[in-house]
Amino acid sequence: MRIQVSRELLDRQLVDADGRLVGKVDDVEFALGPDGVPYLRALLSGPGALGLRVGGRLGRMMVLTAERFVTDRPMAPLRIPYALVERVGSAVRLRIRAEELATPPVEAWLRRNLIGRIPGADRASG
Amino acid sequence: MKKLLAATLGILSAVGGFVDIGDLVAAGQAGARFGMAHTWVLLLGVVAICAYADMAGRIAAITGRAVFDLIRERLGARVALVNLAASYLVTVITLSAELGGVALALRLATGVPYLLWVPLAGAAVWLVLWRMRFPLMERVFGLAGLALVIFAVALFWLPTDWAALGRSAVAPSEAGQGWGAYWFIAVALFASTVSPYEIFFFSSGGVEERWSPADLADARFSVLVGFPIGGFLALSLIATAAVVLRPAGLSVESLDEVAQPVVLAFGAVGLAVAALAFFAVTFGAALETGLSAAYAAAQYFGWQWGKRVSPREAARFHTVLLVSVLLGVLLLFTTVDPVALTEYMLIISAVALPLTYLPILIVANDRTYLGDRVNGRALNLLGAVLLLVILAASIAAVPLAIGTRMGQ
Repeated sequence: MRIQVSRELLDRQLVDADGRLVGKVDDVEFALGPDGVPYLRALLSGPGALGLRVGGRLGRMMVLTAERFVTDRPMAPLRIPYALVERVGSAVRLRIRAEELATPPVEAWLRRNLIGRIPGADRASG
Repeated sequence: MKKLLAATLGILSAVGGFVDIGDLVAAGQAGARFGMAHTWVLLLGVVAICAYADMAGRIAAITGRAVFDLIRERLGARVALVNLAASYLVTVITLSAELGGVALALRLATGVPYLLWVPLAGAAVWLVLWRMRFPLMERVFGLAGLALVIFAVALFWLPTDWAALGRSAVAPSEAGQGWGAYWFIAVALFASTVSPYEIFFFSSGGVEERWSPADLADARFSVLVGFPIGGFLALSLIATAAVVLRPAGLSVESLDEVAQPVVLAFGAVGLAVAALAFFAVTFGAALETGLSAAYAAAQYFGWQWGKRVSPREAARFHTVLLVSVLLGVLLLFTTVDPVALTEYMLIISAVALPLTYLPILIVANDRTYLGDRVNGRALNLLGAVLLLVILAASIAAVPLAIGTRMGQ
Protein backbone atom coordinates (compact mmCIF):
# COMPACT_ATOMS: atom_id res chain seq x y z
CA MET A 1 0.00 0.00 0.00
CA ARG A 2 1.36 3.41 -0.95
CA ILE A 3 0.93 6.12 1.64
CA GLN A 4 2.35 9.61 1.95
CA VAL A 5 3.54 9.71 5.55
CA SER A 6 3.66 13.48 5.97
CA ARG A 7 0.33 14.15 4.24
CA GLU A 8 -1.85 11.21 5.16
CA LEU A 9 -0.43 9.89 8.41
CA LEU A 10 1.29 12.53 10.55
CA ASP A 11 -1.00 14.56 12.84
CA ARG A 12 -4.00 12.29 12.17
CA GLN A 13 -6.32 11.13 14.94
CA LEU A 14 -5.76 7.58 16.27
CA VAL A 15 -9.03 5.74 16.89
CA ASP A 16 -9.28 2.32 18.56
CA ALA A 17 -11.49 -0.60 17.47
CA ASP A 18 -14.40 0.75 19.56
CA GLY A 19 -14.13 4.31 18.26
CA ARG A 20 -12.32 5.69 21.35
CA LEU A 21 -9.80 8.47 20.73
CA VAL A 22 -6.32 7.21 21.57
CA GLY A 23 -4.11 10.16 20.59
CA LYS A 24 -2.55 11.64 17.47
CA VAL A 25 0.12 10.28 15.19
CA ASP A 26 2.75 12.59 16.67
CA ASP A 27 5.69 10.93 14.89
CA VAL A 28 6.59 7.77 13.02
CA GLU A 29 9.46 5.30 13.29
CA PHE A 30 11.22 3.67 10.36
CA ALA A 31 13.42 0.56 10.49
CA LEU A 32 15.60 -1.33 8.00
CA GLY A 33 14.28 -4.71 6.87
CA PRO A 34 16.58 -7.74 6.44
CA ASP A 35 16.86 -6.83 2.74
CA GLY A 36 18.11 -3.35 3.62
CA VAL A 37 14.88 -1.66 2.52
CA PRO A 38 13.45 0.79 5.06
CA TYR A 39 9.88 0.23 6.24
CA LEU A 40 7.43 2.00 8.51
CA ARG A 41 7.75 0.18 11.82
CA ALA A 42 5.61 2.08 14.32
CA LEU A 43 3.44 5.12 15.00
CA LEU A 44 4.50 7.23 17.99
CA SER A 45 2.06 9.18 20.12
CA GLY A 46 2.50 11.39 23.18
CA PRO A 47 3.84 14.79 24.25
CA GLY A 48 7.44 13.50 24.21
CA ALA A 49 7.29 12.68 20.50
CA LEU A 50 5.21 15.75 19.64
CA GLY A 51 7.51 18.10 21.57
CA LEU A 52 10.53 16.88 19.59
CA ARG A 53 8.70 17.41 16.31
CA VAL A 54 7.41 20.88 17.25
CA GLY A 55 10.92 21.75 18.38
CA GLY A 56 12.23 25.00 19.80
CA ARG A 57 11.24 26.56 23.08
CA LEU A 58 7.56 25.73 22.52
CA GLY A 59 8.30 22.02 22.08
CA ARG A 60 10.57 21.90 25.13
CA MET A 61 7.93 23.64 27.24
CA MET A 62 5.37 21.05 26.20
CA VAL A 63 7.66 18.14 27.12
CA LEU A 64 8.60 19.70 30.47
CA THR A 65 4.94 20.30 31.35
CA ALA A 66 4.00 16.72 30.52
CA GLU A 67 7.02 15.32 32.40
CA ARG A 68 5.78 16.85 35.65
CA PHE A 69 3.18 14.08 35.68
CA VAL A 70 5.53 11.09 35.32
CA THR A 71 8.28 9.57 37.44
CA ASP A 72 10.42 7.88 34.78
CA ARG A 73 12.02 10.48 32.53
CA PRO A 74 12.55 11.03 29.69
CA MET A 75 8.97 10.32 28.79
CA ALA A 76 8.55 7.39 26.41
CA PRO A 77 5.94 7.86 23.68
CA LEU A 78 3.19 5.34 23.10
CA ARG A 79 4.55 3.01 20.39
CA ILE A 80 1.99 1.36 18.11
CA PRO A 81 3.39 -1.23 15.66
CA TYR A 82 2.17 -0.38 12.18
CA ALA A 83 0.79 -3.92 11.83
CA LEU A 84 -1.97 -2.91 14.29
CA VAL A 85 -3.32 -0.28 11.89
CA GLU A 86 -6.55 -1.43 10.29
CA ARG A 87 -7.04 1.41 7.82
CA VAL A 88 -6.00 4.99 7.19
CA GLY A 89 -8.72 7.47 6.32
CA SER A 90 -9.61 10.84 7.82
CA ALA A 91 -8.48 9.05 11.01
CA VAL A 92 -6.09 6.16 11.64
CA ARG A 93 -8.18 3.19 12.77
CA LEU A 94 -6.49 0.55 14.97
CA ARG A 95 -7.32 -3.16 15.26
CA ILE A 96 -6.99 -3.19 19.03
CA ARG A 97 -8.88 -1.57 21.91
CA ALA A 98 -7.57 1.35 23.98
CA GLU A 99 -7.44 -0.86 27.11
CA GLU A 100 -4.75 -3.00 25.49
CA LEU A 101 -2.49 0.05 25.11
CA ALA A 102 -0.72 1.82 27.98
CA THR A 103 -2.81 4.70 29.42
CA PRO A 104 -1.04 8.01 28.67
CA PRO A 105 0.74 9.11 31.89
CA VAL A 106 -0.86 12.57 32.10
CA GLU A 107 -4.33 11.05 31.64
CA ALA A 108 -3.59 8.42 34.31
CA TRP A 109 -2.31 11.03 36.78
CA LEU A 110 -5.30 13.37 36.33
CA ARG A 111 -7.72 10.43 36.52
CA ARG A 112 -6.19 9.23 39.77
CA ASN A 113 -5.60 12.58 41.48
CA LEU A 114 -8.20 15.01 40.18
CA ILE A 115 -11.11 13.99 37.97
CA GLY A 116 -11.62 10.51 39.48
CA ARG A 117 -12.03 12.08 42.92
CA ILE A 118 -14.96 14.30 41.97
CA PRO A 119 -18.35 12.65 42.67
CA GLY A 120 -20.09 11.51 39.51
CA ALA A 121 -16.88 10.96 37.53
CA ASP A 122 -17.94 7.46 36.46
CA ARG A 123 -21.19 8.38 34.79
CA ALA A 124 -21.43 9.71 31.24
CA SER A 125 -23.99 12.50 31.06
CA GLY A 126 -24.87 11.92 27.39
CA MET B 1 -44.61 16.00 13.70
CA LYS B 2 -41.51 14.43 15.16
CA LYS B 3 -39.46 15.96 12.40
CA LEU B 4 -40.93 19.38 13.04
CA LEU B 5 -40.03 19.05 16.71
CA ALA B 6 -36.45 18.05 15.89
CA ALA B 7 -36.13 21.01 13.52
CA THR B 8 -37.48 23.39 16.18
CA LEU B 9 -34.98 22.07 18.72
CA GLY B 10 -32.11 22.50 16.26
CA ILE B 11 -33.19 26.08 15.59
CA LEU B 12 -33.39 26.79 19.33
CA SER B 13 -29.81 25.59 19.76
CA ALA B 14 -28.66 27.78 16.90
CA VAL B 15 -30.41 30.86 18.33
CA GLY B 16 -28.90 30.13 21.76
CA GLY B 17 -25.47 29.77 20.20
CA PHE B 18 -25.71 33.04 18.33
CA VAL B 19 -26.61 35.77 20.83
CA ASP B 20 -24.21 36.31 23.74
CA ILE B 21 -22.68 39.05 25.88
CA GLY B 22 -20.69 40.33 22.90
CA ASP B 23 -23.89 40.94 20.92
CA LEU B 24 -25.64 42.57 23.88
CA VAL B 25 -22.80 45.03 24.46
CA ALA B 26 -21.82 45.70 20.83
CA ALA B 27 -25.43 46.00 19.60
CA GLY B 28 -26.36 48.27 22.52
CA GLN B 29 -23.38 50.54 21.89
CA ALA B 30 -23.91 50.61 18.14
CA GLY B 31 -27.55 51.64 18.58
CA ALA B 32 -26.94 54.14 21.37
CA ARG B 33 -24.18 55.95 19.48
CA PHE B 34 -24.86 55.48 15.76
CA GLY B 35 -28.50 54.52 15.44
CA MET B 36 -29.09 51.86 12.81
CA ALA B 37 -25.89 52.76 10.94
CA HIS B 38 -24.33 49.31 11.64
CA THR B 39 -27.20 47.26 10.21
CA TRP B 40 -25.12 46.18 7.21
CA VAL B 41 -22.35 44.91 9.51
CA LEU B 42 -24.78 42.66 11.33
CA LEU B 43 -26.23 41.34 8.06
CA LEU B 44 -22.73 40.66 6.70
CA GLY B 45 -21.84 38.84 9.93
CA VAL B 46 -24.93 36.65 9.72
CA VAL B 47 -24.12 35.70 6.11
CA ALA B 48 -20.52 34.90 7.13
CA ILE B 49 -21.43 32.72 10.10
CA CYS B 50 -24.06 30.86 8.04
CA ALA B 51 -21.65 30.18 5.16
CA TYR B 52 -18.83 28.97 7.39
CA ALA B 53 -21.05 26.98 9.75
CA ASP B 54 -22.41 25.25 6.66
CA MET B 55 -18.85 24.30 5.60
CA ALA B 56 -17.85 23.18 9.10
CA GLY B 57 -21.05 21.12 9.41
CA ARG B 58 -20.45 19.42 6.06
CA ILE B 59 -16.85 18.62 7.04
CA ALA B 60 -18.03 17.17 10.36
CA ALA B 61 -20.74 15.04 8.75
CA ILE B 62 -18.59 13.59 5.97
CA THR B 63 -15.21 13.10 7.69
CA GLY B 64 -16.37 12.71 11.29
CA ARG B 65 -13.69 15.22 12.28
CA ALA B 66 -14.16 18.50 14.12
CA VAL B 67 -12.55 21.81 13.18
CA PHE B 68 -9.49 21.73 15.40
CA ASP B 69 -8.58 18.19 14.33
CA LEU B 70 -8.28 19.47 10.81
CA ILE B 71 -6.50 22.69 11.76
CA ARG B 72 -3.62 20.57 13.03
CA GLU B 73 -3.61 18.28 9.99
CA ARG B 74 -3.62 21.16 7.53
CA LEU B 75 -1.36 23.66 9.31
CA GLY B 76 1.12 21.22 10.82
CA ALA B 77 1.89 20.52 14.49
CA ARG B 78 3.85 23.71 15.18
CA VAL B 79 1.70 26.40 13.55
CA ALA B 80 -1.42 24.68 14.89
CA LEU B 81 0.04 24.79 18.41
CA VAL B 82 0.43 28.57 18.15
CA ASN B 83 -3.12 28.69 16.77
CA LEU B 84 -4.33 26.59 19.70
CA ALA B 85 -2.66 28.90 22.23
CA ALA B 86 -4.29 31.97 20.62
CA SER B 87 -7.71 30.33 20.18
CA TYR B 88 -7.68 29.02 23.75
CA LEU B 89 -6.80 32.46 25.12
CA VAL B 90 -9.58 34.15 23.14
CA THR B 91 -12.13 31.50 24.11
CA VAL B 92 -11.30 31.66 27.83
CA ILE B 93 -11.52 35.47 27.81
CA THR B 94 -14.89 35.10 26.07
CA LEU B 95 -15.96 32.59 28.73
CA SER B 96 -14.98 35.09 31.40
CA ALA B 97 -16.99 37.85 29.68
CA GLU B 98 -20.02 35.53 29.47
CA LEU B 99 -19.72 34.71 33.19
CA GLY B 100 -19.56 38.45 33.83
CA GLY B 101 -22.73 38.77 31.74
CA VAL B 102 -24.49 36.11 33.84
CA ALA B 103 -23.48 38.02 36.98
CA LEU B 104 -24.67 41.34 35.50
CA ALA B 105 -28.02 39.78 34.53
CA LEU B 106 -28.46 38.45 38.06
CA ARG B 107 -27.59 41.88 39.48
CA LEU B 108 -30.15 43.43 37.18
CA ALA B 109 -32.78 41.03 38.55
CA THR B 110 -31.84 41.17 42.24
CA GLY B 111 -29.77 44.31 42.90
CA VAL B 112 -27.09 42.21 44.61
CA PRO B 113 -23.56 43.35 43.48
CA TYR B 114 -22.38 41.36 40.47
CA LEU B 115 -19.07 40.25 41.99
CA LEU B 116 -20.97 38.16 44.54
CA TRP B 117 -22.67 36.32 41.67
CA VAL B 118 -19.43 35.55 39.82
CA PRO B 119 -18.32 32.50 41.85
CA LEU B 120 -21.88 31.15 41.87
CA ALA B 121 -22.15 31.59 38.11
CA GLY B 122 -18.81 29.81 37.62
CA ALA B 123 -19.84 26.92 39.89
CA ALA B 124 -23.22 26.58 38.18
CA VAL B 125 -21.66 26.54 34.71
CA TRP B 126 -19.15 23.90 35.74
CA LEU B 127 -21.85 21.78 37.40
CA VAL B 128 -24.01 21.83 34.28
CA LEU B 129 -21.00 20.84 32.16
CA TRP B 130 -20.13 18.06 34.61
CA ARG B 131 -23.55 16.56 35.11
CA MET B 132 -26.44 17.72 32.97
CA ARG B 133 -27.64 16.29 29.70
CA PHE B 134 -26.22 18.91 27.44
CA PRO B 135 -28.72 18.97 24.53
CA LEU B 136 -31.49 19.54 27.06
CA MET B 137 -29.72 22.53 28.61
CA GLU B 138 -28.91 23.93 25.20
CA ARG B 139 -32.60 23.90 24.27
CA VAL B 140 -33.78 25.31 27.60
CA PHE B 141 -31.37 28.24 27.28
CA GLY B 142 -32.15 28.67 23.58
CA LEU B 143 -35.88 28.84 24.38
CA ALA B 144 -35.40 31.26 27.29
CA GLY B 145 -33.11 33.36 25.08
CA LEU B 146 -36.01 33.89 22.69
CA ALA B 147 -37.41 36.15 25.42
CA LEU B 148 -35.15 38.75 23.77
CA VAL B 149 -38.02 39.12 21.31
CA ILE B 150 -39.46 41.55 23.89
CA PHE B 151 -37.04 44.10 22.42
CA ALA B 152 -38.72 43.79 19.04
CA VAL B 153 -42.14 44.03 20.72
CA ALA B 154 -41.03 47.15 22.62
CA LEU B 155 -40.14 48.75 19.32
CA PHE B 156 -43.80 48.51 18.26
CA TRP B 157 -45.05 49.59 21.67
CA LEU B 158 -42.90 52.72 21.82
CA PRO B 159 -43.63 55.69 19.52
CA THR B 160 -40.97 54.59 17.05
CA ASP B 161 -40.26 56.81 14.04
CA TRP B 162 -39.89 53.95 11.56
CA ALA B 163 -39.01 56.16 8.62
CA ALA B 164 -36.08 57.76 10.47
CA LEU B 165 -34.96 54.33 11.67
CA GLY B 166 -35.02 52.99 8.12
CA ARG B 167 -33.15 56.01 6.77
CA SER B 168 -30.31 55.64 9.26
CA ALA B 169 -30.04 51.94 8.33
CA VAL B 170 -29.63 52.50 4.58
CA ALA B 171 -27.53 55.67 4.78
CA PRO B 172 -24.93 55.08 7.52
CA SER B 173 -23.37 58.20 9.01
CA GLU B 174 -20.88 58.81 11.81
CA ALA B 175 -23.46 60.91 13.67
CA GLY B 176 -20.88 63.39 14.97
CA GLN B 177 -18.98 60.64 16.80
CA GLY B 178 -16.16 60.29 14.27
CA TRP B 179 -15.53 57.57 11.67
CA GLY B 180 -12.82 55.98 13.83
CA ALA B 181 -15.37 55.17 16.51
CA TYR B 182 -17.83 54.05 13.82
CA TRP B 183 -15.40 51.50 12.42
CA PHE B 184 -14.28 50.42 15.88
CA ILE B 185 -17.88 49.50 16.74
CA ALA B 186 -18.27 47.89 13.31
CA VAL B 187 -15.30 45.56 13.96
CA ALA B 188 -16.58 44.71 17.46
CA LEU B 189 -20.09 43.97 16.20
CA PHE B 190 -18.76 41.84 13.35
CA ALA B 191 -16.52 39.88 15.76
CA SER B 192 -19.46 39.29 18.11
CA THR B 193 -21.47 37.86 15.21
CA VAL B 194 -18.81 35.47 13.90
CA SER B 195 -17.24 34.36 17.24
CA PRO B 196 -14.94 31.38 16.54
CA TYR B 197 -16.38 29.43 19.46
CA GLU B 198 -19.69 29.17 17.62
CA ILE B 199 -17.88 27.23 14.86
CA PHE B 200 -15.86 25.02 17.26
CA PHE B 201 -19.02 24.22 19.15
CA PHE B 202 -21.17 23.58 16.11
CA SER B 203 -18.71 21.24 14.43
CA SER B 204 -17.82 19.37 17.63
CA GLY B 205 -21.52 18.92 18.37
CA GLY B 206 -21.97 17.47 14.90
CA VAL B 207 -19.17 14.96 15.47
CA GLU B 208 -20.50 14.05 18.90
CA GLU B 209 -24.02 13.48 17.59
CA ARG B 210 -22.49 11.36 14.80
CA TRP B 211 -23.96 13.30 11.90
CA SER B 212 -23.87 11.41 8.64
CA PRO B 213 -24.27 12.98 5.20
CA ALA B 214 -27.99 12.11 5.59
CA ASP B 215 -28.30 14.49 8.59
CA LEU B 216 -26.68 17.29 6.67
CA ALA B 217 -29.88 18.83 5.33
CA ASP B 218 -31.33 19.12 8.86
CA ALA B 219 -28.13 20.63 10.27
CA ARG B 220 -27.99 23.13 7.44
CA PHE B 221 -31.65 24.01 7.93
CA SER B 222 -31.29 24.73 11.67
CA VAL B 223 -28.29 26.97 11.03
CA LEU B 224 -29.82 28.82 8.12
CA VAL B 225 -32.95 29.54 10.16
CA GLY B 226 -31.51 29.80 13.69
CA PHE B 227 -28.60 32.17 13.03
CA PRO B 228 -30.73 34.70 11.12
CA ILE B 229 -33.30 34.62 13.98
CA GLY B 230 -30.40 35.39 16.32
CA GLY B 231 -29.39 38.17 13.96
CA PHE B 232 -32.91 39.56 14.03
CA LEU B 233 -32.84 39.62 17.86
CA ALA B 234 -29.50 41.45 17.77
CA LEU B 235 -30.93 43.90 15.25
CA SER B 236 -33.87 44.65 17.54
CA LEU B 237 -31.35 45.37 20.33
CA ILE B 238 -29.67 47.93 18.08
CA ALA B 239 -33.02 49.43 17.11
CA THR B 240 -34.34 49.85 20.66
CA ALA B 241 -31.04 51.42 21.73
CA ALA B 242 -31.29 53.76 18.73
CA VAL B 243 -34.85 54.77 19.65
CA VAL B 244 -34.48 55.13 23.42
CA LEU B 245 -30.81 55.55 24.43
CA ARG B 246 -29.56 57.70 21.57
CA PRO B 247 -31.99 60.65 21.94
CA ALA B 248 -31.31 60.63 25.70
CA GLY B 249 -27.56 60.65 25.09
CA LEU B 250 -27.09 57.50 27.19
CA SER B 251 -24.15 55.16 26.56
CA VAL B 252 -23.93 51.48 27.46
CA GLU B 253 -21.98 51.06 30.71
CA SER B 254 -23.65 47.86 31.89
CA LEU B 255 -26.61 45.68 30.95
CA ASP B 256 -28.95 48.12 32.74
CA GLU B 257 -28.82 50.52 29.81
CA VAL B 258 -29.33 47.71 27.31
CA ALA B 259 -32.53 46.76 29.21
CA GLN B 260 -33.67 50.39 29.51
CA PRO B 261 -35.94 50.43 26.42
CA VAL B 262 -38.06 47.47 27.59
CA VAL B 263 -38.23 48.93 31.10
CA LEU B 264 -39.52 52.14 29.55
CA ALA B 265 -42.10 50.20 27.53
CA PHE B 266 -43.24 47.54 30.01
CA GLY B 267 -41.93 48.57 33.44
CA ALA B 268 -41.06 45.87 35.98
CA VAL B 269 -42.36 43.07 33.75
CA GLY B 270 -40.08 44.27 30.98
CA LEU B 271 -37.13 44.32 33.36
CA ALA B 272 -37.86 40.75 34.51
CA VAL B 273 -38.16 39.42 30.96
CA ALA B 274 -35.00 41.25 29.84
CA ALA B 275 -33.04 39.95 32.84
CA LEU B 276 -34.23 36.39 32.12
CA ALA B 277 -33.22 36.70 28.46
CA PHE B 278 -29.80 38.16 29.33
CA PHE B 279 -29.25 35.39 31.86
CA ALA B 280 -30.23 32.67 29.39
CA VAL B 281 -28.09 33.85 26.48
CA THR B 282 -24.99 34.53 28.58
CA PHE B 283 -25.28 31.31 30.58
CA GLY B 284 -25.80 29.30 27.39
CA ALA B 285 -22.80 31.00 25.79
CA ALA B 286 -20.69 30.35 28.92
CA LEU B 287 -21.43 26.62 28.53
CA GLU B 288 -20.49 26.73 24.86
CA THR B 289 -17.29 28.72 25.33
CA GLY B 290 -16.15 26.47 28.19
CA LEU B 291 -16.71 23.39 26.07
CA SER B 292 -15.11 25.00 23.02
CA ALA B 293 -11.91 25.80 24.92
CA ALA B 294 -11.65 22.17 26.01
CA TYR B 295 -12.63 20.85 22.55
CA ALA B 296 -9.82 22.83 20.91
CA ALA B 297 -7.15 21.47 23.29
CA ALA B 298 -8.44 17.88 23.17
CA GLN B 299 -8.73 17.88 19.38
CA TYR B 300 -5.22 19.28 18.93
CA PHE B 301 -3.65 16.64 21.18
CA GLY B 302 -5.96 13.78 20.15
CA TRP B 303 -7.37 13.24 23.67
CA GLN B 304 -10.69 11.57 24.28
CA TRP B 305 -13.33 14.31 24.52
CA GLY B 306 -17.06 14.72 24.72
CA LYS B 307 -20.05 13.94 26.86
CA ARG B 308 -20.65 10.39 25.64
CA VAL B 309 -17.88 8.95 27.80
CA SER B 310 -17.63 9.32 31.58
CA PRO B 311 -15.43 12.17 32.86
CA ARG B 312 -12.97 9.57 34.23
CA GLU B 313 -12.32 8.33 30.71
CA ALA B 314 -11.75 11.88 29.44
CA ALA B 315 -9.74 13.16 32.41
CA ARG B 316 -7.57 15.58 30.43
CA PHE B 317 -10.59 17.05 28.62
CA HIS B 318 -12.45 17.57 31.90
CA THR B 319 -9.35 19.05 33.54
CA VAL B 320 -9.10 21.67 30.79
CA LEU B 321 -12.84 22.40 31.23
CA LEU B 322 -12.44 22.86 34.98
CA VAL B 323 -9.30 24.99 34.64
CA SER B 324 -10.94 27.17 31.96
CA VAL B 325 -13.95 27.95 34.16
CA LEU B 326 -11.61 28.71 37.08
CA LEU B 327 -9.53 31.04 34.89
CA GLY B 328 -12.70 32.80 33.75
CA VAL B 329 -13.80 33.38 37.35
CA LEU B 330 -10.31 34.53 38.42
CA LEU B 331 -10.15 37.05 35.58
CA LEU B 332 -13.39 38.62 36.85
CA PHE B 333 -12.04 38.65 40.41
CA THR B 334 -9.46 41.21 39.25
CA THR B 335 -12.61 43.46 39.36
CA VAL B 336 -12.21 44.24 35.67
CA ASP B 337 -15.47 45.78 34.47
CA PRO B 338 -17.37 43.02 32.57
CA VAL B 339 -18.49 45.42 29.83
CA ALA B 340 -14.92 46.68 29.30
CA LEU B 341 -13.75 43.04 29.33
CA THR B 342 -16.33 42.28 26.63
CA GLU B 343 -15.01 45.13 24.48
CA TYR B 344 -11.42 43.90 24.79
CA MET B 345 -12.59 40.33 24.15
CA LEU B 346 -14.29 41.39 20.90
CA ILE B 347 -11.16 43.16 19.66
CA ILE B 348 -8.90 40.19 20.48
CA SER B 349 -11.29 37.77 18.82
CA ALA B 350 -11.43 40.00 15.74
CA VAL B 351 -7.65 39.69 15.49
CA ALA B 352 -7.83 35.90 15.86
CA LEU B 353 -10.70 35.31 13.39
CA PRO B 354 -8.58 34.18 10.39
CA LEU B 355 -7.00 31.44 12.54
CA THR B 356 -10.36 29.65 12.53
CA TYR B 357 -11.87 30.65 9.21
CA LEU B 358 -8.95 30.19 6.82
CA PRO B 359 -8.40 26.47 7.64
CA ILE B 360 -12.14 25.79 7.24
CA LEU B 361 -12.14 27.28 3.76
CA ILE B 362 -9.04 25.23 2.84
CA VAL B 363 -10.44 21.92 4.11
CA ALA B 364 -13.84 22.60 2.53
CA ASN B 365 -12.01 22.53 -0.82
CA ASP B 366 -9.88 19.43 -0.10
CA ARG B 367 -11.07 16.41 -2.11
CA THR B 368 -9.02 13.97 -0.03
CA TYR B 369 -11.41 14.77 2.84
CA LEU B 370 -14.69 15.59 1.15
CA GLY B 371 -14.58 13.78 -2.21
CA ASP B 372 -17.12 15.45 -4.47
CA ARG B 373 -18.81 17.25 -1.56
CA VAL B 374 -16.27 20.08 -1.72
CA ASN B 375 -17.52 23.69 -1.95
CA GLY B 376 -19.28 24.69 -5.13
CA ARG B 377 -18.14 27.73 -7.08
CA ALA B 378 -20.73 30.13 -5.66
CA LEU B 379 -19.98 29.18 -2.05
CA ASN B 380 -16.24 29.45 -2.71
CA LEU B 381 -16.65 32.93 -4.14
CA LEU B 382 -18.77 33.96 -1.15
CA GLY B 383 -16.33 32.29 1.26
CA ALA B 384 -13.34 34.06 -0.31
CA VAL B 385 -15.01 37.48 -0.22
CA LEU B 386 -16.04 36.93 3.41
CA LEU B 387 -12.51 35.83 4.24
CA LEU B 388 -11.23 39.14 2.85
CA VAL B 389 -13.69 40.96 5.14
CA ILE B 390 -12.50 38.81 8.07
CA LEU B 391 -8.85 39.61 7.24
CA ALA B 392 -9.64 43.32 6.99
CA ALA B 393 -11.38 43.25 10.40
CA SER B 394 -8.46 41.32 11.87
CA ILE B 395 -5.84 43.76 10.55
CA ALA B 396 -7.84 46.89 11.42
CA ALA B 397 -8.87 45.80 14.94
CA VAL B 398 -5.78 46.80 16.94
CA PRO B 399 -4.98 50.06 15.07
CA LEU B 400 -8.63 51.11 15.51
CA ALA B 401 -8.63 50.17 19.19
CA ILE B 402 -5.46 52.19 19.84
CA GLY B 403 -6.32 55.06 17.50
CA THR B 404 -9.77 55.62 19.02
CA ARG B 405 -8.81 54.57 22.59
CA MET B 406 -11.34 51.74 22.52
CA GLY B 407 -13.90 53.67 20.53
CA GLN B 408 -14.06 56.93 22.46
